[in-house]
Amino acid sequence: MMEAADSVGFAGKQMAEDRIETDVVVIGGGATGIGTLRDLSLRGIACVLVEQGGIAHGTSSRFHGLLHSGGRYAVNDTLSAKECIEENTILRRIGAQCVEETEGFFVLLPEDDPDYVEKWLPCCKEAGIQTEELSVEEARRLEPEISPQAVRVFRVPDSCVDGFRLVLHNAMSARRHGGRVLLYHKVIGISQQNGCIQSVEVVNTLTGEKKTLFCRAVVNAAGSWSGQIAALAGLDVPVSPDKGSLIVFNHRFTSRVVNRLHPGSDGDIFVPHGSITILGTTSVATDRPDDTRPSRQEILRLLDIGEPLFPKLRSYRILRAFAGTRPLYTPGNAQGRSASRNFQVFDHARDGLQGFFSIFGGKLTTYRLMAERVSDAVAAYLHVSAPCTTQDQPMVTQADPQRLEQTRRCFPVGDLSLMADRVGDDLDKVLDLAKKRTQVSPAGNPLICECEMVSLAEIESIAQDQDSHSLTDIRLRTRLGMGTCQGTFCALRAVNTMFEHDITLSKDPLCELHGFLQERFRGLTPTLWGTQAQEMQLSHAIYAGVLNVRNAYANNN
Amino acid sequence: MSIHLDPDKCLACTTCVVHCPVAEATPAFLGPRMIGPAFERFRLLGIVEDDSLQYCANCKNCEIACPQNVPVATINMLARLAQCQETPPSFRDWIVAHGEVLARSLKYVPAWMKNLGTHLPLMRALLDGIGIHKNCPMPQFARKAFRDHLPKLSQKGFTKSVAFFPGCYINYYDPGTGFDLVWLLQQAGYRVFVPKAFVCCGIPLISGGFEKDARDNAQRNLKVLRELQAQKIPVISACPSCRLMLTREMAEFFPELLPEQSVVVEDAQSFLLKCIHSGELAIDGAQKTTSAAISAIYHAPCHLRAQGNGLPALELLSYFPAIDICEANAGCCGISGSYGFKKEKYAIGQAVGAKLFQRITESGRPLVASECGTCRLQITGATKKPALHPLTLLRAALEGRQLTL
Repeated sequence: MMEAADSVGFAGKQMAEDRIETDVVVIGGGATGIGTLRDLSLRGIACVLVEQGGIAHGTSSRFHGLLHSGGRYAVNDTLSAKECIEENTILRRIGAQCVEETEGFFVLLPEDDPDYVEKWLPCCKEAGIQTEELSVEEARRLEPEISPQAVRVFRVPDSCVDGFRLVLHNAMSARRHGGRVLLYHKVIGISQQNGCIQSVEVVNTLTGEKKTLFCRAVVNAAGSWSGQIAALAGLDVPVSPDKGSLIVFNHRFTSRVVNRLHPGSDGDIFVPHGSITILGTTSVATDRPDDTRPSRQEILRLLDIGEPLFPKLRSYRILRAFAGTRPLYTPGNAQGRSASRNFQVFDHARDGLQGFFSIFGGKLTTYRLMAERVSDAVAAYLHVSAPCTTQDQPMVTQADPQRLEQTRRCFPVGDLSLMADRVGDDLDKVLDLAKKRTQVSPAGNPLICECEMVSLAEIESIAQDQDSHSLTDIRLRTRLGMGTCQGTFCALRAVNTMFEHDITLSKDPLCELHGFLQERFRGLTPTLWGTQAQEMQLSHAIYAGVLNVRNAYANNN
Repeated sequence: MSIHLDPDKCLACTTCVVHCPVAEATPAFLGPRMIGPAFERFRLLGIVEDDSLQYCANCKNCEIACPQNVPVATINMLARLAQCQETPPSFRDWIVAHGEVLARSLKYVPAWMKNLGTHLPLMRALLDGIGIHKNCPMPQFARKAFRDHLPKLSQKGFTKSVAFFPGCYINYYDPGTGFDLVWLLQQAGYRVFVPKAFVCCGIPLISGGFEKDARDNAQRNLKVLRELQAQKIPVISACPSCRLMLTREMAEFFPELLPEQSVVVEDAQSFLLKCIHSGELAIDGAQKTTSAAISAIYHAPCHLRAQGNGLPALELLSYFPAIDICEANAGCCGISGSYGFKKEKYAIGQAVGAKLFQRITESGRPLVASECGTCRLQITGATKKPALHPLTLLRAALEGRQLTL
């Protein structure tokens, strides 16, 4: 099943053709778009995906990473709840490397309406979501940080999903089946002829080169940007971006997803992720799909709301905050939490344009189902009868434990499972490089990022990938700089590594360093107090003081 | 065992890495920050424990250096305790951690016979086989344990009394220091006793990963310490590691045993300093002797520096013109309790101590002073210079006699 990785490589650095012919162009490199690319590729339909930024540049990497059991939607939206539990079950199977099967708690606090439980339980049952009540003592034995004030606790099959990795692994799978991905390509025009889609014009945002993609169908899966894409084709879709802000905490103070047992609200979901915990999410209407700056007020509000569930919340160190925009389906101007979380597939034939499909709304948990539905519509339009098979095949192959064990000695930290899960199809490359580096010198594969335990071999292999244009691209795939020090120590080490091993990124090392640090600082600023403020002072002293990076950068540019 | 210390205070500044003698000596150790607070974030996720953890010597230099007060070594030891619950420690580790249990079971075996094990090449080869390095210096059993002998010692019947926590080293290997302390406290007007129920402080048990045994010992010692505290009887210790365990680490490892305030155990040297300051211990006579009869170099044990109460022994000895003392100030000796005995760590221990050994040799002083028994063992092993407890020097100065080295 595995083809040689490079035979149908990601379209990237070396692909310079200015005309591409394909059957379908998918717009948007988030979960839905890449999921659609995978779905269509598995059906044997030729397709190319274009994304204005890197993988999961938009909302798919900007949420709390909860793989819903559906419990959250059980009362208000039983259909969504049903879809969630079904997709949750499928994703655990096909995306084991992206999902952490933590289970979740729904906790009723004294200030919550106790009658809500009686509404919630039958709805969960109807949707097929298993619930089990635990004694508060038992719940607190499992999760000691939960408030002793808790009144009732229920266990549900919630899980955690790494949104970025999910999209990456979908792309890896799509790539093995012929799908192509053009990252850093922005759509600038959509052409039609006689009411049919003819081509999509894109520009490479890094080089300025333009390309025309001739195709028979277009899938607009641009999420919060889908209104802008539709407008390029002269169409209108009822999508409103809705900003959600989240907080990242430095450590895992809960091993389970913890929800408040009350009608959905801001800041009442805690999701553990690898080494960190995320608290979210606010809901604020915005007019910009790229409105991803959380405000300090939002962060303080999140803490206020989260504190009753975790009384020591304010003592946990905050790493940073981030925000994303939900592409809410808002016919007739529904807003915020009242807007449906259902998804919609639009065949714009009814607006007079054949072969143009939009998909929006929904949530990450149901991305595969969304991709399936829109792919069904596209396949029918193209008269392809192959059914969807995305629910059956794992996205990347499971790492061979024996091979990992054999290579363990080539890595500075013995447990390779986290690394193997995140790199997916790139595992062989990383293991080979680690071997090579440690043959040269026993200490040839040191840790570059200690906070997230990323070794030189991993960074070097990912950096060599044609889709790695910046340290940020490398960061997203390796977690470099995403831990406690937020790049203070690893940024310089990583840049040195690139330099020593002759790996060029799209900018010079100084610009890379500056850009990377700026991106890290941006997420620090809304939460800059306590230990993290000390951390930033240290970082500032190193980069602005000792290394004088800011002035060096200013002088070079 | 599922105590996890909050890793949030660590700034990842790597000051601890710079001060870690083990990380400097071997690349096998990932360093205190990495295996401590950084790895702790992944322990909470349930990641497999890293092999590198076993290299932490628990010398505490990371904690001394940390500007954020992160209990780095304690995080490591807690992780080791958790690890040892999964994979029980080796026979060798049991032996070196249970010195007191062993000594008790061999109580009726004459000391010379016990000590054969440390001399006979065949015995050393056997010990080497189980993982105790053939070249490591080993302590010699005294003919009679301190605690067995103390009740037979006739003490002046003062009304003031002080409870002494002798620790295993003084009790089994170095009772002389214990008697020096008794003599000094008698001069200050105190009667000295050792409560029967005191047991090993547990620090070797923690380092070896024996959580249950360490907890049992902590419980027993706490019971006695609380009773003494209620009777307002001061408790003193002449061993920095014992005191570190009793006053600080017990609360870190077994927070449930010490829900309120921790217990007070005073450093014997600090206690004697107080006696001098209050006039209880008269030193006028000894202060008049100006000729330096004793010339020594002082090594401050890591576990003493970790307590942050200065260097009371150095202050105490500097009162006496008869003692010419200087500080080595050259870091860890590399023994770290039983770390330097272990076959796979012996070379690391020697490398760690190299700087100190050189400083001592270059000082040209004939004598080394240090509170810690195993530090002295390591130093004598490497430099061939005799090493004594500061209390022994103090007694000699007060008695106005030459030390027989």
